[in-house]
Order: sequence, then C-alpha cells, then structure tokens
Amino acid sequence: MVKKYTYTPEIPEVFRCRVPLPETHQAFIMNGILREGVVNDEGLSIISNGDSGFRLSVAPGASIPENTQIITVRDESNTESISYVNDLSFGSNSESSILICSHTLSMDEFRTESEMNISVEKDSRVNIVVMQNEHNKSSHKVKFNITLERGSYLRMNIVSLHGGLLENEIEARLAGENSQCELNGIYLVDGKQEIRTTVNMHHLVPRCYSRQLFKGILDNESKAFFVGKINVAQDAQKTEAFQANHNLLLSRQAKVYAQPQLEIYADDVKCSHGATSGRLDENAMFYMRSRGIGAAEAKLLQQIAFVYDVLEKINNEQLRQRLQDLVESRLRGEFSHCSNCSLNCC
Amino acid sequence: MLIIRGLHASIDGKEILKGIDIDVKAGEIHAIMGPNGSGKSTLSSVLAGRETFEVTAGEVVYKGMNLLAMAPEDRARNGIFLGFQYPVEIPGVSNVNFMKTAINEQRKYKNLPPLNAAEFLKLMREKMAVVEMDNSFSSRGVNVGFSGGEKKRNEIFQMAMLEPTLAILDETDSGLDVDAMRIVAAGVNKLKKPDNAFVVITHYQRLLDYIIPDFVHVLYDGKIIKTAGKELAMEVETRGYDWLINP
Repeated sequence: MVKKYTYTPEIPEVFRCRVPLPETHQAFIMNGILREGVVNDEGLSIISNGDSGFRLSVAPGASIPENTQIITVRDESNTESISYVNDLSFGSNSESSILICSHTLSMDEFRTESEMNISVEKDSRVNIVVMQNEHNKSSHKVKFNITLERGSYLRMNIVSLHGGLLENEIEARLAGENSQCELNGIYLVDGKQEIRTTVNMHHLVPRCYSRQLFKGILDNESKAFFVGKINVAQDAQKTEAFQANHNLLLSRQAKVYAQPQLEIYADDVKCSHGATSGRLDENAMFYMRSRGIGAAEAKLLQQIAFVYDVLEKINNEQLRQRLQDLVESRLRGEFSHCSNCSLNCC
Repeated sequence: MLIIRGLHASIDGKEILKGIDIDVKAGEIHAIMGPNGSGKSTLSSVLAGRETFEVTAGEVVYKGMNLLAMAPEDRARNGIFLGFQYPVEIPGVSNVNFMKTAINEQRKYKNLPPLNAAEFLKLMREKMAVVEMDNSFSSRGVNVGFSGGEKKRNEIFQMAMLEPTLAILDETDSGLDVDAMRIVAAGVNKLKKPDNAFVVITHYQRLLDYIIPDFVHVLYDGKIIKTAGKELAMEVETRGYDWLINP
C-alpha cells in the first residue's frame, strides 16, 4: 500500500497543510481536477468523477483507516470560475472518517462552486470534517446533498476558518428509518468577510434523529447568514430534531441574520430550534482580568470557550487538537499576518 | 501596604461609598462587616478595578502606587486578589488552562519565563491539596457545574496558586456549610504570612471563629461607623448592628 505521494512541482513548496494527521491517505483536487487517485485493498477508492471532481466510495462492510484526507486547492494555474461535482458513497455497514480541506494558494479572485453528493447507505457510520481556509478574495460555494438510509449515521463538522465569501448549503434527507444526522459548524469571520449557511433537514420517515449546532464569531464589518429549516413529513412520527445557532458579535458593525424554521406535518415529534446573538460576557472578562489575565487574552479565552462545544464534537482527538490550534491562531489574528500561518495564502 | 482615603464611589449616579478610610499593613487581617446594602461588595469591586463603579472622590495607595489608575489585570499582577462572592462560570475554559494562563501572564509581567508543564502540574497538585480539592476539578470548565461550596473552594485554590500580597475575600463564607467553611478558613490560615494581608468581607461572625482578624470594621451606608479589635465581631453577633447605627 502506497502511503506517501510526492506532488512537487505541482503542489507548491510553500503549501504545508498543518491539518492532516501522520500517515494520512491524501488525495489532491487541484482547481477541480483530481491529481492522483487512491485505490486500496481496504475498500476505499477515490477516482475522477468524469472530467472534474472526485468519486469516493467505501465498499460495503469496509472500515477505512481514520486518516483519509481530500485536499481541494485553487492556485494561479487556473483562475477561471470553476464548478464540479463530487460523489461520495459509503457502502452498507461501512465505517469511515474523512477530512475535506479547501485552500487557496495564490491571491487571485477565485470563484468555486462544488456539489458534494453524499450517500450514506444502510447501517453505515460516517464522520466528515470539512475545513475551509481560503483568502479574502475567494468565493466558494459548496452544496451538500446528503441522503441517509436505514440505520445509518452521519456526523459532519464544518470548520470555516477564513474566506471572502463562503457558502455552505446543506440538503439532508433522512430517508431510512432509525437514521441519525448530526451537523455542526464553526464560522469565524472578520473584515468584510461573509458566510452563508443554509440547512434543510428533511425527516421523511419515522424514528429518525437529527441535531444541528452552528456557532459563529463575527468581528469588524463581517456578516453571517444562517437559514435553517427542519422539515418533518406527515409520516415521520417519533422524529427527534434539534437545531441551534449561536453568534458572538465582537463589533457593532458585524451583522448576523438568523432564520431558524420548523415545518412539521407529523404530530408525534420532539423538535426544537433556536438562535441567539450576543456579546462577550463582561462578568467573565472581569473575572479573568482580576486573575491577572490581560484584556486581550481574556477576550480570546472567551472566544475559544464559545466555540469549544462544537470542536468537542470532532471525534478524532488528534485532529480536534490541530483544528483547535488553528482556530486559536485564527482568533489571535495570525491569519491576516502571514508570519504564523503555514498556508501563505494572503 | 494599602491606604484608602476618603473613597467615594457610585454606580449609575447612585452613591454607594461615601468616604472610606482604611489602612492595611503587612501581616494584618481586616474584617469588614455590615448589614446588606451597606457597600461591602462595592468596596471590594472598586479595589479590584471593576469598571461598572465610578470613583468620584478619594484615593487608594497600594505599595506606593495609585491603585485607582491601574487596570484590573495590573492590580492582580501586583499582588491583589479578589475572591468573588459569586464566582463566574466560564464554560469551555478548563480550570487548568485558566490557571496556567493566569500564572504565566503574571510571570510574563514580572519578566519570568513561563512555568513548564511539569512545574505547573506540581504547583497545581500542591495547592489543590491546600483546599482538599479533587484532581478531577482541573479538567472541568471554570466553576461550571460546581456547587456553591466548590466554587468558593476554587477561589481559595486560585488564591493559593497566585500567592497574592493583598487578598480581598468577598463573602467567601456565604452559602458554605460548616465543613466547607473550615476548609476555606484553613486555606486562608495556611497562606497567611508576615508579608501579606487579608481583607475579609463577611456577613456573619461565624467565619471569624476560624480566621482571627486584627481589626474589625463595621460598614454602614457607605461609611465605616466603627473600627475595633476582634471582640467587635462578637458584639455584633450578639447585639446586631442597631446599637452602632442608632447609638
């Protein structure tokens, strides 16, 4: 089994993604084109999806190694608007953990649209972490179409660290009984950045479970939109569906538009939704400062604490720690000063 | 160490402190007693630097410095500690991280290198023993899900970690059962040294059975109306405050 790939000179030397774990199975998507696929005897295959995009499949019953990463990168070799479709299918009874990262390597005004069709077949368990880190002139829209079959489980955590305009549109369909879908997200925006999250959670059949937790920190004149809807069909009795969106605003100019919605046609369900926006807690600030922690550090600790319960939902401890470090250096403002960022993208 | 002269403070235009004079010297324990609403907590907040209170007159000199001009964190870095009446919960920040940040921020201020993980853990274990705190507390969020007694013990633990020169304990005894109070008091007594001082704000004389004060001040309507030795606390316990308020 091949574990290491060399991409130079195609992948510039400056690009060192800090996120991947050691011994990761990596597949690179450069400007929408898969560079080199992965096919291994453990049941994992990542191949081209026609001319662009990728097709990932996990064989029924397979249990693929924890560390599978798909890195999507945009660079100056193609600065046109691109769009591509990825298909991911997780065979019945399989178990997978996948990390999908997106980066920009040059300062061009990239526009990317991608579709991510995710099929979670019966009794399979899937963990997906999406990490988005692009520069301020980049606009990236991802449309997730998720279908969950009987007894399957999907947990997806989206960590949106940086980007000019990031849009994540998620259509999730709980199509088989006893399926479970958990969607969590963190978004950090500042300057004039904008992030849009749309979630439509469709409960189509009885006895399914869904939970959503999205948290954002907004500074300067940034904007966040969160439109979330839980749709429970007439047949979908015994549904349990929850949704929460919380925002921390650090400046008066930052704006968040939250629209949590429920549309319920069944009569025996447990559902809740809620959205909040707030500022830093003055009492906690004073408490920390009274212990000698400077105002800036106290502010930072509170922000890290705010998103902590979302990060906590990333199962792999090593990956969680890495993402937590990235979140911290992002909140310290180190992304806008290239010095401490390994990505050299802005 | 601490000289308070003619201190006036108000909140939202309402005057709470109406001229306070207190002198605290190294090695002393001062108790401040008084009925509800007399200004005890305001005094401790002003000394620690809470910005919601406005100091309208008077001065506070601490180790020769103008305390009122200093930011809360700089007061702490110069050895002032406030034990909160209502310790704040900070979900997501573990006790151990909180203390590590606090200690190292204070060390940075003093131009000392940060403690390494081993040194820090050793210190942490040692000080947790002072307040008989279980090790499982260290990984939990600051005060999150702690009982009233555990929160107060955590305050004393933090005090033990930071080794302040002047500790102000704001009603640390409120909401404590006798056992918890004994632990808190024992913590204070273990930390007492000739070069530090305590200001203990309390409602009841009970705590002063365990922490013996050198001076007892009775605060009423924003003023100190009586200062005496530890016997004053006993007298308040038996006679209440009325004889002092309406002599």
